[in-house]
Amino acid sequence: MKWLARRLPAGSLLFLMLAGMALVAFWAPDAWAQDAAGPVEYRSFPVVGSRVVVWVIAQLHLMFGAFVLAVPMFALTIEFIGFRNGDKRYDDLAHEFTRLLSVSFSFTASLGALLTFFLFILYPRLMEYLVSIFDWTFMLYACVFFLEAVFLYSYYYGWGKMPKWLHLLLGLGLNMVGIAIIFIADSWLTFMNSPNGIDAEGNLLSTWDAINNFTWMPINIHRLIANICFGGSIAAAYGAYKFLGAKTEEERAHYDWMGYMGNFIAIAALLPLPFAGYWLGREIYAFSQSLGIALMGGTFSWLFIIQAVLIGNLFLAANYYLWLSMERIHGAERYRKFTKWLLASITVCFIVWATPHSLVATVEEARAMGGSHHPILNVLGVMSAKNTAVNVLILTTYLSFLFYRRANKEATVSWAKTGNIVQFGILAAVVGVVIFLGVYGYFVEASVRIGLSIPQVGLVLFAMISITIIDVFMFRNARILGPIEWGKIPNRAQYALFFIAITFAWTMGLMGYVRSGIRQHWHVYGVMRDTSEHAFTPTLGYAANVVSVTVLIFFAFIAVVFFLSSLSGKKKIEAEGGASS
Amino acid sequence: MMNALKICVFTVLVAAFYSYVSQMVPQKVTYPPEETELGADMTTEELVVAGEEIAGGKGTCLTCHTVSGDTGGRFPDLANIGLVAADRKEGFSDVEYLAESLYDPNEYIVEGFLPGMTPISDPPIDLNDEEILAVIAYLQSLGGVATVTLDTELRWQSEENSAAAAAASQAGAAAGPSAENLSGEELFAMYACGTCHSVTEPTPLLGPSLYNAGNDFSTAELYEAIMDPDAVVAEEFTAGLMSAQLNATGFYDKISSGQLKTLVDYLAMQKGGS
Ligand code: HEC
Ligand code: HEC
Ligand code: HEM
Repeated sequence: MKWLARRLPAGSLLFLMLAGMALVAFWAPDAWAQDAAGPVEYRSFPVVGSRVVVWVIAQLHLMFGAFVLAVPMFALTIEFIGFRNGDKRYDDLAHEFTRLLSVSFSFTASLGALLTFFLFILYPRLMEYLVSIFDWTFMLYACVFFLEAVFLYSYYYGWGKMPKWLHLLLGLGLNMVGIAIIFIADSWLTFMNSPNGIDAEGNLLSTWDAINNFTWMPINIHRLIANICFGGSIAAAYGAYKFLGAKTEEERAHYDWMGYMGNFIAIAALLPLPFAGYWLGREIYAFSQSLGIALMGGTFSWLFIIQAVLIGNLFLAANYYLWLSMERIHGAERYRKFTKWLLASITVCFIVWATPHSLVATVEEARAMGGSHHPILNVLGVMSAKNTAVNVLILTTYLSFLFYRRANKEATVSWAKTGNIVQFGILAAVVGVVIFLGVYGYFVEASVRIGLSIPQVGLVLFAMISITIIDVFMFRNARILGPIEWGKIPNRAQYALFFIAITFAWTMGLMGYVRSGIRQHWHVYGVMRDTSEHAFTPTLGYAANVVSVTVLIFFAFIAVVFFLSSLSGKKKIEAEGGASS
Repeated sequence: MMNALKICVFTVLVAAFYSYVSQMVPQKVTYPPEETELGADMTTEELVVAGEEIAGGKGTCLTCHTVSGDTGGRFPDLANIGLVAADRKEGFSDVEYLAESLYDPNEYIVEGFLPGMTPISDPPIDLNDEEILAVIAYLQSLGGVATVTLDTELRWQSEENSAAAAAASQAGAAAGPSAENLSGEELFAMYACGTCHSVTEPTPLLGPSLYNAGNDFSTAELYEAIMDPDAVVAEEFTAGLMSAQLNATGFYDKISSGQLKTLVDYLAMQKGGS
């Protein structure tokens, strides 16, 4: 096992196994028979069907990819903080996060290879077309991927063995290459949703225009942020897993801190995510209203109810974790009385947000209602109310953070009282105006209403930034009421971290589905029709089951990653223990 | 070890919970748009009916528009469009205005709304000229009187967008695997549907008789009954029987969407009861 952990052939082994299975599956005689019949458009896959295999493998690849690209981002940041303030703990934490990478990287690569393999075999016509559009980017991708491997392994194995500045530079290179990877891959899949750079027959005019299509940048940004969030939550789950198995107080303290840091990263990235999401939504509408309506108003409107449940749960669990975290801080009692108000605010926002926009079950039903808007749910369900709810939700979570930050501090500056009043004033004013704009939205024409979300977002950002700045100055040289006792946190809190990680993985699965799903019976929207047996869009329940299975497979893999990573860590701890005794 | 087990159980429970939540929302399968049959000799009244069907189906108009008389939505309400169309644009008759707003929607933007409709003669909606005439007839009938027929000529029409051209390109796409050309009856025999269903007698065999399927079910229901037999189980019959048998014969792996349509059309033609 130790040998395994050191050499890490797990990924390649797995790949060989799966590739072997796939080969056996395709050696079935009927696959050959189909080949003989002329140019093949589709091939079928036994038992679950082509669509589901490609779906599950793509999603697994995406999740591992997201993790592998996100961890270096915050590992580097944490390493840099440690470098600047000279606190060895940060450097160790960054290194520990990085340790999760090497096994995951092999998994990512194997899954990617498997995905390519299946796509070319099962969807030859589509892939031929995509290759004709994107030819050289595939080569570029391969090269960049290779570079990623070089950077990743030298960053990981070079830890502590080279000058710090050189190591940080390697980390920067790693991140640059990682971002290049995600941007290239995004160009392919965004093209399928919002094709660009082609003529009316679908022939290529410009590869760059095909890359730079309507949804490319919004998806790049949305994914980048979501990946950090996801990576942070998985890293936090690792901390939680180690915390629960910890034997000593020291270990408990360490892994409590690790879980906290991972979660902090996840939630910090979660706050701007809805904004990026709405931008993405806008661009989809801008490309094609039909696509936008399919997304938010038509077939998939119920999917966003499920998304609202997921996101609501994320916010709820994140706040819950922060409240529990305050138990390890002396002085936090002062803020406990506020939690019930925060909880109430989250609940109300959640209900508004989860109220569906339009409830189209069938066309007949839509006809019976004289269109697609439900008379009763219309009011809470439209964008105006939802935007408002999300904004208030974000502010509430921000407030939990603020309380946590202040928990053991007492301001000593002379203007502390004024400062508090100003902070409260800003918050109250912003919440007031945000709600006012939300209500006002009902009294204006659609074209005006859509623009109202911009001042709302601007105000929320303004509130968070200005209140933080005041807070930083106000709590300079603050009196510390007591230390933070890392490790003094109930096990419940660790389960909250698992919950966040699972919910996040599920959200990714669901949203990955809607991204492909909104194309409905098109492979490339408006350009290449899906003429396979799988051209229909399945029920949400069915899609959700596929997502659940994918998530469980993902966590089975992650368990292997955790296990192998903690093996490779053990040697070090044992060695250190031996040296000190 | 105990912890690992607890975490596993917890993970499964959370995933199961989200799956469960997702079963609570309406479950609907969306099929690729169906073609509405347009006969060359259809009367204007028949065109109106066909147009309404296209507007709710292939045209996807109702995903955006309402036909309820309520104003203030995000898209123009069409309940009175037949009445107002003639006055919308200087020098345009109602038919001309409607045609323009379908072929070239961004030429004229209705006051208070943002541009956002795509030309419905192009993909993804991709209606042909005849279908668009039917839709125009339907729109005229909303608050007004329909006048167009399939012979009405509009300057937006073109060679490539006629029904004949569309049919030719579809035939080209369909000319793939040879099994595609099997008739519905042949498919019905090939997959041994007849062992459990009769199409000639009203008596049930292992499964319900389908001799009156065309009257009993819409085509969408037939699709669902075949692709997901256990979603709705007819009374007195065993769930899972049909899906098990069809899985065993490889029906779901082999059937293409074209064949499925042929099969459904064949069943829809069974109107023994009327
Ligand atoms: C993606 C949403 C969308 C879809 C789908 C859509 N429309 Fe529209 N439609 C609009 C918008 C937005 C306007 C208003 C802007 C304009 O005038 O182009 C409009 C305007 C119209 C008008 C002019 C209304 C008036 O009051 O003058 C007509 C007629 C119309 N649409 C008919 C249709 C028909 C018929 C279909 C289906 C074949 C359809 N639309 C599909 C979005 C859509
Ligand atoms: C092993 C026997 C069996 C075979 C073979 C079989 N079916 Fe069925 N079928 C059933 C049973 C039992 C039901 C009723 C229970 C249900 O709805 O699942 C049913 C229901 C149906 C229904 C819905 C009828 C209703 O009244 O609800 C349709 C349509 C149908 N089958 C079509 C087909 C077609 C087409 C095939 C061939 C491709 C086929 N069946 C093959 C057993 C069979
Ligand atoms: C409220 C906060 C939101 C959160 C936490 C969130 C989270 C996520 C996550 C985790 C992913 C998967 C990213 C990946 O594939 O790596 C995702 C993808 C996506 N999101 Fe969001 N999202 C939010 C809001 C929105 C909104 C408002 C929209 C649309 C109107 C939206 C549309 C999408 C789409 C279409 C995808 C698919 C992108 C893809 O995987 O290619 N999201 N989102």
